Amino acid sequence: MSLQPKKNTKDGQPTWGERDRLSVLNTDTRRLSAGAKVSGEALYSMDQRPEGMLFGRLVCVPVATAEFTLDLEPALAMDGVEGAIVLRKDKTLYNGQAVAAVAARTPELAEDAARAVKLEIKPLPWAVTAEQAMAERAPQVLGRRPNYGPRGRGDGTTGDEEETMLALEGAAYRVESEYHVPVQHHCSLETHGVVADYDGGEEATIYASTQSVFGIPGSAAREMDLSRKNVRCVVEHMGGGFGSKFSMDVAGKAACALAKETGRPVYVFNDREQEFQTSGNRSGSTQRIQAGVDEEGKLVAMHSEMEKLGGLGPGPGTRQPYIYDVAESFTREHSIHTNTDASRAMRAPGHPQVSFAMESTIDQLAYEAGIDLVEFRKLNLSDPVYHRQLDRVAREIGWADHPHKSAPGTGDGWTAEGIGFGVTIWGGGGYAGCGANVRIERDGGVISSIGVQDLGTGVRTLVAMIPAEEFGLTVEDVDARIGDSHLPQGVSSGGSVTTGSVSPVVKSAAWNARLAFAEHLAPILSCEPGNVTFADGKVFDRASPDRGLSWQDACAALPTEGLTANGEFVDDLQASGVHGAQAARVRVDLKTGQLTVLKMVAIQDSGLVLNPLTWRSQVNGAMIQALGQALLEERCMDPDLGLQINPNFGDYKIPGSLEIPELVAIIDEEDTRQAVIGVGEPPVIPGVGAIANALQNACDVRITSLPLTPDKILSAIASQS
Amino acid sequence: MTRDHSSDPEPKSLSRRSFLKGAGGAAASGVFVGELATGAKPVEPTRCLSSEETLEGDVEVTFHLNGESIAVTVEPRTTLLSAMRDRIGHTAAKSVCEQGNCGACTVLLDDEPVYSCLTLAVKADGREVRTAGGLAEGGELSPVQAAMVDRDGMMCGFCTPGLVMSVTACLEKNPRADEAEVRQACSGNLCRCGTYPHVFQAALDAGRKMVASSNSGSGSAGGGR
Repeated sequence: MSLQPKKNTKDGQPTWGERDRLSVLNTDTRRLSAGAKVSGEALYSMDQRPEGMLFGRLVCVPVATAEFTLDLEPALAMDGVEGAIVLRKDKTLYNGQAVAAVAARTPELAEDAARAVKLEIKPLPWAVTAEQAMAERAPQVLGRRPNYGPRGRGDGTTGDEEETMLALEGAAYRVESEYHVPVQHHCSLETHGVVADYDGGEEATIYASTQSVFGIPGSAAREMDLSRKNVRCVVEHMGGGFGSKFSMDVAGKAACALAKETGRPVYVFNDREQEFQTSGNRSGSTQRIQAGVDEEGKLVAMHSEMEKLGGLGPGPGTRQPYIYDVAESFTREHSIHTNTDASRAMRAPGHPQVSFAMESTIDQLAYEAGIDLVEFRKLNLSDPVYHRQLDRVAREIGWADHPHKSAPGTGDGWTAEGIGFGVTIWGGGGYAGCGANVRIERDGGVISSIGVQDLGTGVRTLVAMIPAEEFGLTVEDVDARIGDSHLPQGVSSGGSVTTGSVSPVVKSAAWNARLAFAEHLAPILSCEPGNVTFADGKVFDRASPDRGLSWQDACAALPTEGLTANGEFVDDLQASGVHGAQAARVRVDLKTGQLTVLKMVAIQDSGLVLNPLTWRSQVNGAMIQALGQALLEERCMDPDLGLQINPNFGDYKIPGSLEIPELVAIIDEEDTRQAVIGVGEPPVIPGVGAIANALQNACDVRITSLPLTPDKILSAIASQS
Repeated sequence: MTRDHSSDPEPKSLSRRSFLKGAGGAAASGVFVGELATGAKPVEPTRCLSSEETLEGDVEVTFHLNGESIAVTVEPRTTLLSAMRDRIGHTAAKSVCEQGNCGACTVLLDDEPVYSCLTLAVKADGREVRTAGGLAEGGELSPVQAAMVDRDGMMCGFCTPGLVMSVTACLEKNPRADEAEVRQACSGNLCRCGTYPHVFQAALDAGRKMVASSNSGSGSAGGGR
């Protein structure tokens, strides 16, 4: 049945329906791929093994910046080495930059071959730290442009500096601090890379670890000199991206070029060291903040200057005073460039950095003014949603019984406990551009298709849940097909837009399919199409629910080709604009400086939460990542060697099982919007500031430089007494 | 493609392909993934390595992978992880750090959890290797796996097979393990998405289920053995 169903005016536009009447949506639902993931059957891009596949390996220049010459012949002369290519001829600009790649029959041979490539390096003067970049006669890492200046979208100044300084002078209480946030890493467990499945013909399939299925075929086609329409990208599963995986990257480029050269499938994935050195990062920053409040505690002025450390890139442009209301605010933002790979979007790019500095400023001002930390925030946040959310997390963290509400504690000489808060903001809406179709087959099968990738957020499950709700089926009854550029257009997963972009289109397709099916079944059920009801695996006339057909029998009435309906973006099904608040409770060992996070609480308004189970997973995960930023994570560059000294999980610490506090993720049920909103980014923002604030609240130690390591805490405690 | 071997830049004496002491099977031609179907052939297990011989060139290793006897040709330096993933095409264990930092490659070697990225394939000769791919029985997920599904103990899932194996090893030793013991058992596994809280819940659920089913005498409390 080929149909674009007639618009049924009676049914109007699709809506999600009342929450208490939903049976699949808004209900904890097991992730569709869960069984495959726990049994190792889920095939990630890195797991693809097309027949005849060669193993590729990048040849990287192991100094900060260099001129070099390459000779591939020694590699090509080796047994089992099937191809070698040059990726770059110009001087390298950061440590680990790939300049060539080889392909061989085994990974070991590929490693040997990469070593065998004759690479002669002439190191050039470098600047890998902000200090080096700002030094006199520092090498200009971008060539003709100076290392310091307004570069990115947010750079330059905003506000009136003179007015702000005047207002500051008039403030009743003032604070001033300089904050340092180091460069941090995405640490996706599956590294960047591609398996390019190619046999020398006109077509190729690219298995990429990507956040953008539809961004790959064009790039791959260019590398392989194929027609774009003959290049397909497949991402059955991918092992995390967090903002770093929008392009094929150099590994993908190498895989495509080697596949083209050898006429064979080629695998190229970064190793972990390459991943740390070359695959993007969260920009660091230095922020100098002066802020003041009046007698009542209202923010009257804030002067903030920020230097972003985005390596070769500019870093994102998030500004102070971030979420808070400030009467007079001035900002100046610049970038400092270094010989390190450019920063990339990383889960809420730019936000945790400014949030950390702002939330720290807020607490210092509250203590100056002697006002309860929660009340002080409410005083300076006009949006009432924050007020109820702050109250909620305060209740959950035990604020009422906490002894240090408006002045820091000191502890008992051995340990000290403190509580800190932070708030967050995000958009999270979707946009038009996706396609989707829902197909009902004669044997009762339902196939819901959209090419979008699932980064682990659970979008695959939503793609099945939505039609299941529409047809009165269970999620297991629906076959969700995603992660394939041959399916209807998906969206790149950045900015938390995936749920808001995908869900309305799938809903529309399911809605259209239901209307068309109802029209087809109406004569059989002897009722009006508008009265055909789908519920509990049955189809019936609303007037006589006892009679009717099973779903299977109803589908058997379809023509051989079944029924397919397309979806379109329905703006009202999604919304944008979220708030959130978080609280952290920490314990500090005053003798060792060890900070333990005991508990974190997050609340978030997310409109209609389609799958609360995976929502909680994401919010928990965001708090854990914030904990990592607060306590553990820092890219360490050795200025004398020009190298990162911790490009591995042994030395670059991310949170492990022993660091995980009690976590409470709360859906803000007072948000009654009947629209979906993405959740990925906002909950990663406020935890960093909340933990730093909890440290000060515990023992009157303010550390302004992340991460909050025991050595910093201990020396701060020591200098205090 | 034939290459002139005489220009191999790696002098024989320094070869990483022949550094290991031990005994192995006869040298065979290298197996690459294109030959997966024929490269992995079920055979009877061979003897374990003695420590007397020097291994050189290609080595045939035989081990039980999830109960099936597998013969595979590797180099002495090939890791168990690479033997599984890159020779046999068994990709349940994931390759993440390749230096024993993250646990994504965790397998049970004779019931002990090990990092397969730090275990040489030749060291698995004659031994029993279990991965997340071998826990289900008769198509039914093991208690640990089922609980991970129910609790959403995963997001991207790349760390999941390793965590499943660490939790399985922990509960096979002590199904009554409390959360502190579960955390300790998982302390060699990194997850970037932040699934830990749900993994802990799942482990405790699974332990309770294993205790209950062993009390009821069904005998399937062994997590898939």
